[in-house]
Amino acid sequence: MSVNPFDIRTALFAKHAQHVVLIHFPIALFTTAVAFDYFALWTKNRALAAAAYFNLLLAAIFTVPVVATGLAAWQWALEGQKLKGILLMHLVLGCVSSVLIWLVFCIHWSVRSHPENSLPAYRLSIEALAVLLVALTGHLGGFLTGVNGPG
Amino acid sequence: MIRNCMRVAGLAMVMVATAVLWAGSTSVSANPQSPAAAPTDVKIDNFSFGPGTLTVVVGTTVTWTNRDDIPHTVVSTEGVFKSKVMDTDEKFSYTFAKQGTFAYFCSIHPKMTGKVVVQ
Repeated sequence: MSVNPFDIRTALFAKHAQHVVLIHFPIALFTTAVAFDYFALWTKNRALAAAAYFNLLLAAIFTVPVVATGLAAWQWALEGQKLKGILLMHLVLGCVSSVLIWLVFCIHWSVRSHPENSLPAYRLSIEALAVLLVALTGHLGGFLTGVNGPG
Repeated sequence: MIRNCMRVAGLAMVMVATAVLWAGSTSVSANPQSPAAAPTDVKIDNFSFGPGTLTVVVGTTVTWTNRDDIPHTVVSTEGVFKSKVMDTDEKFSYTFAKQGTFAYFCSIHPKMTGKVVVQ
């Protein structure tokens, strides 16, 4: 049977896990948002700050389907069996990363809702930590999918 | 004198060579190679099952060993057998009691597939 890459059924029921496809969006959006936030602070540019905010918003939204598909893969592919090793670390770090992304977004959102306030400096530390955890989670995820192997 | 020494040395070399050849031939005939036992192990390495197709007789227990640095599973396509997640050096065994062809895959990496043919 030939496979048509533009067929919606082929895309939705592809043999690969959708989690692996979706995860690239929050990673890219969040790291870009953090970069914009740092540049906005450095250059005092409001447009960059706005770009950071909307990237954060999209990153936070994308964590929902990513976590959902990750948990679904655990339940369906592995039947929810007790995880250990790299799989467990990937799960825990992924959940913590998602919480941190939402935390950073909430900090930005609360300040944006009250323009008289300014963004707290401690957010920069949380953002840096979140980027580190996102990178580590992504690294483990790449290791699990075997991007370096024929699988 | 020198010519005699050379003759003795040449004779000695011929005798040694004859002894070596004879020893070699007797060792082969004394230890006839028995037919190798059919393998019943599947090694998981570098995101592949090796051998990809394993042929065994009914009643054979096949053991899969994960030699990769990352976890894998062994899941029958038709639900006949299913392993837990296997970390490095962990094993899974299944005894095939019926004839047939049993396709399987790794549920974490579905492109990893293999087959056990039971005769």
